[in-house]
Amino acid sequence: MRTLIIISHPTLKESHTQSFLQESLPEKGTTWHHLEACYPDHKIDREKEQQLLTDHDRIIFQFPFYWYSSPPLLKQWQDEVLTEGFAYGNYESELKEKEFGLVITTGVHEREYQPGGNEEYTISELTRPYQAIARKCKMILLPTLLISRFDYMSEEERKTLLIRYRQYVSKVSGFTLSSKEDWFEKELQTIGKINMSDSDQQLIDILITQMKENRENLDDLNWTLQEMKDLG
Amino acid sequence: MEHEEWMKQQIKELERKSSDYRQKALYQEFLKLIEEQYKRIEQTEGEIDGRMWSPKEWG
Repeated sequence: MRTLIIISHPTLKESHTQSFLQESLPEKGTTWHHLEACYPDHKIDREKEQQLLTDHDRIIFQFPFYWYSSPPLLKQWQDEVLTEGFAYGNYESELKEKEFGLVITTGVHEREYQPGGNEEYTISELTRPYQAIARKCKMILLPTLLISRFDYMSEEERKTLLIRYRQYVSKVSGFTLSSKEDWFEKELQTIGKINMSDSDQQLIDILITQMKENRENLDDLNWTLQEMKDLG
Repeated sequence: MEHEEWMKQQIKELERKSSDYRQKALYQEFLKLIEEQYKRIEQTEGEIDGRMWSPKEWG
């Protein structure tokens, strides 16, 4: 799977969150595409951008939440790149069945985005336009990854975010435990073994085998339970 | 349970030994995945036991 991460951030170098996300990226399979760096004059190369979209399977918009929307260059990019005849219209959309997700950073605590919270509206409500884009372009929408108050996160929370972000850009979509297991197996076989001794690498293989046995056990139990339900 | 405790210990040890930030993060979250697996196994076993001992089944 090839993932295109379209970042819109006017002061990327000053952002701790964005630097952390860039450092967290998988070693291959992703394209980090910062719009303000590519187009400081805001003159967007539509053909190049459309080719980038065509070449990738998962498209991610990544941006800080400015007045419940993106920074202006991403909006301009949408206006100029997602054209009729390419992204939508009376024919097969070039974006059809590509996955589309949002990674949104905010300085406001996540809990404020709900009725009764300081922001009143949920992130799902506030990101309706992006959901509409996905629908119109026949893309498969992914749940949004919201990163709130990065600077206040503990070390453990940051490590959790690192893995969540890596999964967001590289894991088969969906919340199932088995899809997570498959992803962890691949990661353990690669970055999990870097600079590990031979005996530790063997231990990692044993742990992967045990994880798979647990999965088989769980599948068997679920099958038994389903049989009981069917008979009951 | 033995398996679970052994696995968790080994994963914690791998995380402790690692000096790579991404790797440490991977083992921190791998531990949570394993805990989730065992929790689900326990829950499903409990539900099967519950159904086996249900008075509805005693007829």
